[in-house]
Amino acid sequence: MTTGKWLLAMIVTLMVAFPVLNTAQETRVGGELWNRWTYEIGKSAVDSSNVLRNNYFALERGYLDIRTKFSEGTSTRFTVDMFSTDMAGFSDGAGLKLKYGFVDFNDITPIPDLTITAGLQKVFFGTIYDWNYTLIGKSPVGEYKISSSADFGLTANGFLPDGWGEYAFGIYNGEGYKVFRRNLKDNTDFAYLANLRLTPIAGITVGGSYMYNTVEREKKLTDNSINDKYQQQNLMAGVARFAFGPLDLWAEFLSKDVKHHTNHSIKDYTATGFMIMPIVSLYKLVGTDIQVIGRYDRWDQTDNAADKYLRTDLIGGVNYTFVHDASANPRMQLQLNFTNRTYDEDKSAASYANQMKDVKQVMLQLKYRFSATIK
Amino acid sequence: MKKINLIFLIIALSAVALTAKRNQVTIAGSTTVLPIAQAGAEAYMDKYPTVNVSVRGGGSGVGIAALQNGTAQIAMSSRPMKSKEISACKSKGINPTAYVIANDGIAFITHKSNRLKNISLAQVRDIYIGKITNWNQLGGTNLPIVIISRDVASGTFEVFNDKVLKGAKVSGSAQMLASNNAIMTTVTTTPGAIGYVGLGYVSDAINIVPVDNVRPTEATVKNGSYPVSRKLYMYTNGKASGESARFLSFMQGAEGQAIVKNQGFITLD
Repeated sequence: MTTGKWLLAMIVTLMVAFPVLNTAQETRVGGELWNRWTYEIGKSAVDSSNVLRNNYFALERGYLDIRTKFSEGTSTRFTVDMFSTDMAGFSDGAGLKLKYGFVDFNDITPIPDLTITAGLQKVFFGTIYDWNYTLIGKSPVGEYKISSSADFGLTANGFLPDGWGEYAFGIYNGEGYKVFRRNLKDNTDFAYLANLRLTPIAGITVGGSYMYNTVEREKKLTDNSINDKYQQQNLMAGVARFAFGPLDLWAEFLSKDVKHHTNHSIKDYTATGFMIMPIVSLYKLVGTDIQVIGRYDRWDQTDNAADKYLRTDLIGGVNYTFVHDASANPRMQLQLNFTNRTYDEDKSAASYANQMKDVKQVMLQLKYRFSATIK
Repeated sequence: MKKINLIFLIIALSAVALTAKRNQVTIAGSTTVLPIAQAGAEAYMDKYPTVNVSVRGGGSGVGIAALQNGTAQIAMSSRPMKSKEISACKSKGINPTAYVIANDGIAFITHKSNRLKNISLAQVRDIYIGKITNWNQLGGTNLPIVIISRDVASGTFEVFNDKVLKGAKVSGSAQMLASNNAIMTTVTTTPGAIGYVGLGYVSDAINIVPVDNVRPTEATVKNGSYPVSRKLYMYTNGKASGESARFLSFMQGAEGQAIVKNQGFITLD
């Protein structure tokens, strides 16, 4: 994005924000910034041993968040993500994305604790909507591109009485918040979502999500040829969490069932995977807010003829939180992660052979959050 | 021999540290409940000198989050916990258990010079949403009404919203203040002001306005005739145990309830 466009975006944002904030009952401004160093080694096509692939600093996330409460029944959230990037298309080495822009209606139905949310909002699927980035990397849902973390939509989301859990039903645009311009389809096929999490006993949470989505609207193109990109996706996630004392164990199972046009040459496929992530807090042992985290991922896409692979990730991490808010939530945190990603040569396509896409990665991240009620 | 001494020293120090931790009670949350907890903590520590009870405010939401994050053993709240908060606690392995320690009425207060004798809940609502803007609309003098409210994050506001506003939006001209004390100070010094505070904060410096001809008193709160009353809570993780259980038992017992009364709140009996 050019400097002129940045300036224009900021001016438009402020022009919209000021009249809105002025009528609000309460306005809260917050933000979150992730400064990250990434060091990555792997094999290149001409080398038999590991070489340096990446070694860079970046502001991976720069969220600016404005939350307004117009009444007890109506509130809004507006979040932009300003980030530095090496991605193509960002000539300034920086980018700007609108992450959230939604309105919550809390009291338009007689059902207690039910919120109707309209606009660009969270996708209540699997672990992606409450992924807390205890490790630096994305949730499995985001990592394996099962669903976007935010999308335009209309959802009914709420909590069951007495802390029994939460639920969500929604209709989304289905493309995610990152899709833009010519990549946009004409938005007539929606994604449909249902999510349920139950906590029958304190410390034990189980749940599941289902989403039906399509990629591209038309099965056939205008010249009546088959649209190769068309997909029908049945997406499922099972989530379990066990939290007892210093241990917080997360587990997630994912399934992505993809169907193409009946006459399409590429066969339909189902990909599955799971994650296990134990988090151990050392606070009570050492008196400092230190967490030790492990994560094991396995993603099996060997049924997908177009991109066949079996991937395993082993991640270890340490978090040191040295600034907290009044409720002991992290405000400033240092994170160190090591990732070892490997692809099974026997079960993956030729492009994954000779460990060509295996990665060993170290990431060090300083993350900080702030928020203040300005009205 | 030196090694044995060192081991003994480490064991002794560990035992002291462990005992000190056992005798520590950490309380956080509601600014309404804060004076009760502070006075209760002082009396409790006088009675049990080896125990340290630390109390801090922040608001009901802050206390509940502190319980959830394990940094407070007891969360003070001037409202019942919300489903969302209970759910967040339970998923982290925290099982919030409520202990009622006092009753309270939310008193509507005006400047001492304002001689308003009665107000209906509907009129209070109309003032706070900006429909009634001058005291002469209620039979008083020609004086603009200055609306003073608690900030929307407070438990007191949530009870006020639930029982009076019923979800309507507070007028944009309202001053949203962060504590009961701030409300008292502002109403005391502003002739046209109206505000609301927990009963424990009222004093002779202001005028308490009866609601629908019912004055907030111990009797009217207890018999339910005063329409804007509530319970004040302390929450623990599961059934209270150890020093927390002893402190809560103290607060609910005769000595604790005497403190509740001294602080101007309504006892449980």
